[in-house]
Amino acid sequence: MDVVLKVLLFASLRERAGWAERSLPFTPGVSTAREVWNQLDLGPLEGISIAVNQELVGADQPLQAGDELAFLPPFTGG
Amino acid sequence: MTDCRVEVCPDPFDPWQQLALWSGDAAAAAIFMGRVRPSTMDGRPLEALELEHFPGLCERQITAMAQRLQQEHRTGPILVLHRVGKLAPGEPIVLVAVQADRRGAAQRCSAALLEQLKHQAPFWKREWCAGQGTWLEANTPL
Repeated sequence: MDVVLKVLLFASLRERAGWAERSLPFTPGVSTAREVWNQLDLGPLEGISIAVNQELVGADQPLQAGDELAFLPPFTGG
Repeated sequence: MTDCRVEVCPDPFDPWQQLALWSGDAAAAAIFMGRVRPSTMDGRPLEALELEHFPGLCERQITAMAQRLQQEHRTGPILVLHRVGKLAPGEPIVLVAVQADRRGAAQRCSAALLEQLKHQAPFWKREWCAGQGTWLEANTPL
């Protein structure tokens, strides 16, 4: 089986992109959330939080094959 | 670790009933309940408020912030209930309750937890008005 990254989008990001979940091939050269975000062509990363395997991380944290990567628009709960 | 009960609720909850089930015998308790406003951020009549969350991460984030604040303020049990789904105006959306030996600890912990909940937990609101949904980009001011 091919090694992939699972990418999740939420709320306004999901609507902007038109998809909620996508499996991307894991490319050794594309190894951080910032680089994956740039591939998705969804605008600036500013204000977007990032979770890898359900932990909030910085945009430059290295990714591993099989990771679940989520891009989260600004939080508005409470 | 003192008790922290955190729940994200897909169905309506009765805050008074939940408090009656939760309340202990601490000398002080601070309680905050938030309800859905009847108008949108730009002042139009609100049909519904939709709330989405990131399951798993959201509950863990809230539990971690509640436990940190519980230690920092030396409080007793904490209760956090937060709705998701589509809510009508007036429906309870969030309940934060903190027990402590002193009012200051209970009130400060409750206020800090609510602010962290608003800014650091992965929830998103969408206002529905005249059949159109609009994702909010920021929270209401304190």
